[in-house]
Amino acid sequence: MAQTNYKHLDDQDVKAKKPDRKSLKRLYSYATPYYKQFIVILCLIILSVGMTLIQPRLIQLLIDNNISILVNPASSQSEQALAASGATRTALLYLATVAIAFVTAYGQAYMLQNSGQKILRTIRQELYDHILKLPMTFFDHYPQGSLVTRVTNDTETINEMFTSVLTTVFRSFITLIGIVAIMYSMDARLATYVLILTPGVIIISVVFRRAIRKIYFAQRRVLSMINTKLSENISGMRTIQVFHRQKQVSEEFDEINQKYLDLSSREVQYYATYRPFIEIVRSLGIAGLIWFGGRSHLDGIITFGILYAFIDYIQRFFQPILELAETFNIIQSAMTSSNRIFHLMDQKVEDIGGKVAVPESGLRGKIEFKNVCFAYNEDEWILKDVSFTVQPGDFVAFVGATGAGKSTIMHLLCRFYDIDQGQILIDDIDIKDYDLKQLREAIGVVQQDVFLYSGSVMSNISLNRPEVSDADVREAARIVNADSFIDKLPHRYEQDVMERGGTLSSGQRQLLSFARTIAAKPSLLILDEATANIDTETELLIQDAINKMASNRSMIAVAHRISTIANADKIIVMHKGRISEQGTREELLAQDGLFKVLYKLQYEEY
Amino acid sequence: MREYRTILQFMRANKWRYVFGIFALLFVDAANLLVPQVLRKFADWAQFGELTLERTGQAALAIFLLGLAVAAGRYFWRVYIFGTARRLEYWLRDKLFKKYLRLDDSFFNQQRTGDLMAHVTNDVLMVRNSMGGGIIMIVDAVFMTLFTVIMMIYTVGFATAMVSLLALPFITVVVFSMSKPLQRRSRDVQDTFSELTTEVQENISGINSIKAFGIEENRSESFEKINKKYQEKNMAMLRMSALFDPLIQFISGAALVIFILYGIKRMSSGSLSLGDFVAVLNYLRMMVWPLIAIGMVVNSFQRGIAAMGRINEILAAEPKVKEAASPSKISKHGADDQALKIEFRDVCFRYADNLPWVLKGVSFTLEDNESLAILGRTGSGKSTILNLLLRRYDVTSGQILLNGVDVRDASFEELYGKIAFVEQESFMFSRTIAGNIAFSSDDNYDPETVKKAAEFSRVASDIEAMPEQYRTWVGERGVTLSGGQKQRLAIARAYYQDAQVLVLDDSLSAVDTNTEKDILNHLEELERGLIIVSQRVSTVQRSDQILVLEDGVISQRGTHSALLEDRDGFYARLHQRQLLESELREDGGEV
Repeated sequence: MAQTNYKHLDDQDVKAKKPDRKSLKRLYSYATPYYKQFIVILCLIILSVGMTLIQPRLIQLLIDNNISILVNPASSQSEQALAASGATRTALLYLATVAIAFVTAYGQAYMLQNSGQKILRTIRQELYDHILKLPMTFFDHYPQGSLVTRVTNDTETINEMFTSVLTTVFRSFITLIGIVAIMYSMDARLATYVLILTPGVIIISVVFRRAIRKIYFAQRRVLSMINTKLSENISGMRTIQVFHRQKQVSEEFDEINQKYLDLSSREVQYYATYRPFIEIVRSLGIAGLIWFGGRSHLDGIITFGILYAFIDYIQRFFQPILELAETFNIIQSAMTSSNRIFHLMDQKVEDIGGKVAVPESGLRGKIEFKNVCFAYNEDEWILKDVSFTVQPGDFVAFVGATGAGKSTIMHLLCRFYDIDQGQILIDDIDIKDYDLKQLREAIGVVQQDVFLYSGSVMSNISLNRPEVSDADVREAARIVNADSFIDKLPHRYEQDVMERGGTLSSGQRQLLSFARTIAAKPSLLILDEATANIDTETELLIQDAINKMASNRSMIAVAHRISTIANADKIIVMHKGRISEQGTREELLAQDGLFKVLYKLQYEEY
Repeated sequence: MREYRTILQFMRANKWRYVFGIFALLFVDAANLLVPQVLRKFADWAQFGELTLERTGQAALAIFLLGLAVAAGRYFWRVYIFGTARRLEYWLRDKLFKKYLRLDDSFFNQQRTGDLMAHVTNDVLMVRNSMGGGIIMIVDAVFMTLFTVIMMIYTVGFATAMVSLLALPFITVVVFSMSKPLQRRSRDVQDTFSELTTEVQENISGINSIKAFGIEENRSESFEKINKKYQEKNMAMLRMSALFDPLIQFISGAALVIFILYGIKRMSSGSLSLGDFVAVLNYLRMMVWPLIAIGMVVNSFQRGIAAMGRINEILAAEPKVKEAASPSKISKHGADDQALKIEFRDVCFRYADNLPWVLKGVSFTLEDNESLAILGRTGSGKSTILNLLLRRYDVTSGQILLNGVDVRDASFEELYGKIAFVEQESFMFSRTIAGNIAFSSDDNYDPETVKKAAEFSRVASDIEAMPEQYRTWVGERGVTLSGGQKQRLAIARAYYQDAQVLVLDDSLSAVDTNTEKDILNHLEELERGLIIVSQRVSTVQRSDQILVLEDGVISQRGTHSALLEDRDGFYARLHQRQLLESELREDGGEV
């Protein structure tokens, strides 16, 4: 079978594995083009942290060198004046550090975000482009919703990693190192005392983080249960009411709601315990500093300013530890997301086909199916030994009940799927040997579901293909009789159309789709006709368009309306994956077979 | 703030929690305000050489005890204020959901599911935040600011306090003036994000067009535009939000410098001690948060008010179809209290005064245990008849009687207990197969009856082929059921109800002919009342009474054979056509 098992890809619960080295490496490879920026960012961080950390030291100098003299009634007039001017200088120096810290902190944050956003944009684009190149079988098996999630939400998680985590990690480490260095430079004994407290803070944080992560995980699960329940109960409200199950449904909802409240309360409880715990350690630290520092001061070992600076530093020391603990969660979910993203990026893209080029002049248009068998899913054969030939320039139509396999023939010609048995030849060459891009360009397909992109009529016909000029668009619109309604639009070719928008009727959309196909002047035309409700007038236009399109090229069509294929050179009747009848319309009508029944059904209105 | 009246009831019931929480918060604030005083005393002792070992110990102990007090207080205010906010979230969510359960089709037809969900999740969250963090902000903004200023004046006198506070109010100004634009920019980011999502969604669903035309590059460029826009919008927001912290740091730093410069003069005159200096440094730092809070509180409550407003709108909505206050009993007491006779008397219906009539004078009677079929084109009003019977809407004029009791006077419980409905688009819930059939919580059902129901609707063999059989989970990530399986499960669900009348709204359309025949046989053997709506003659032909509905009017009625006699009638022509179709389906191909 041509298909791979894609199901495992959609495992939403891909366990938060240990940081996967490979993913991490790959993630950082996206950052390497910005290494210069990152060096500057690192310098700015060092500078801004440095400026901030110098401030308590300045206050210490101010207290020890100036204030102690200023407040001392014993000091002389000149000493006072000297101290005052020194104090002013220190104050202005302090102001300078504040200003530099402001500029560098902002500059750093700005640059980091700027690079981070660019990196994210690159990842998002690469991922999306990769998805577009994946084969049809992939899309048949991978839920669309998950693909969207990969491109949007998962990249968003990584975004957080780049923006908040990187800054925090850098800043926190530099701050910690800085504080330790400054403290040791002031007084080694007190510095060691502060360091002794660190394991306590780390242990409390780690224990708390572990616990709270579990709660968060459970909360997310319950919240998605709430969402599922809400969505299905709102959609199924009628059923609930008609079966009079409000009470039961309400109880079920309450159960989940209650569960969420329990988890929520536990979250509050945990935080309410954790924060005070840290508070206690902090005040223990300060009290200890006062005790030990005060004694040192009494012994004349340290000045009061140094003691004060220590009190300041100890408060700044805990913050980065707490923040580092917090970033751990984000890193983990970013790892999960990047695993998913890279896994998707590793999916094999569509085969680009063989080396045979489509000639400049296009395909002649001979199509041959030789004993083709095909199944989308194992053992569910859609086409069973189908053989037919279309001569260059012919117009061949396929008819039959829904599910007979008509559309599949069209899909196979475009090589959306590869066949399981048999051979498909175009101009006597196996379609697998053609360059896929050229082959698809040479074959024009009018699809059943007309997909309009948000944009103008012009761009919807040209699809911004380089080989399609504005003149080609107008010419195509004229050929398929779309020009008459386009000319009536307020902005004509520049009129904006919207997907699912009601600007155009279904008949008009169908004509647009014809024009879109014809505009690139394909040498072979495939028509998968829509059954939408089309008024008689448009139907005549469509019929005329089809005849014009068929006039100078091979065309094969799936027709739901027998009227539109009145001029076909050959009609092939499909039934349950096999060809049951073929011939011209008259021949088939004379046969009194399946075609005749189909014919009667369409012409005898009830 | 009037919007908050909805939660008054909750607030009243929880008033002690709020009182206690706020009290704890004030206690924490007070303890915090004393810390600089201890440091002040300590510094002054140090300055004047009065520091002793004993005093050092006292100061250390005081700091530690104050720390303990703060810790204890924090625990309580977090539990009481944040904890209560979480209860409020639960309470509001429950209230909203119960309201949804009471509202009817006329409400749901006008609302988008996404919006209705957002009220229960996002809006509730916003109210929770305003009543949790918001309260903290108010208390801190008011009391913390006030008390810190008082303590500063107490410490260093009015003039010095005022001068050193000169720069700080800019914090409030910055926060306040940034919060609106920041919110707008973040909404821009969200909007662009949903644009991005839509783009991806649309293109992935149109992937075969993209491949057929080989326009991958064009689509990639289109995505690139939005991708770029998203990056820019993000930057626009981040440019501003990145300013927040540095700017506040800058202002508080500047305030410190102003204080030092002013303080120098007062120190030489002896009116400012080292202790005063140390205390003010600490107070200035403590002032930062309450001033931020002042700037944020307005915004937080504005969002809360907007969310509350949306919630109130839902809570104020009333269903059009209401259960009778004192319902009449449908069941007759006596020998056959289960019997149900349904009568439509000249029923007319339209959705609104300015809309066309959907039903124009429909009358019929369904005796107990009889079968009735309604046949007609899409839009002829078939489903409306059922909707009226099941009180999805009420008649505009005329009457629907159950055993002579107007359907509007019956209790919902009795009405829906007597009539079991199989919808056109059968809805399956994410629970087990058995849970779906019994329509009950997942282990609260009678397995025998469930099995019987599944056999009745010919879905038993499908279920038994599933990996976990009746315990197979149906839902988003469970098995995907085919249209026919869903319809048969819905029939099983209706059977399980053991109601007096079964109503099938075109519910056999996705079932193959043979299975349909079996199910129709089972329905006949059941000997209960049956109303069956269909577009297929084969489905309705065995009914005791067939109504042909055209444009809201019964155009033909009678049994199958009687209706066929009118050879040019709608019924006979449809019959003819469907015979042809089945000929095509059954013996076409193998020629």
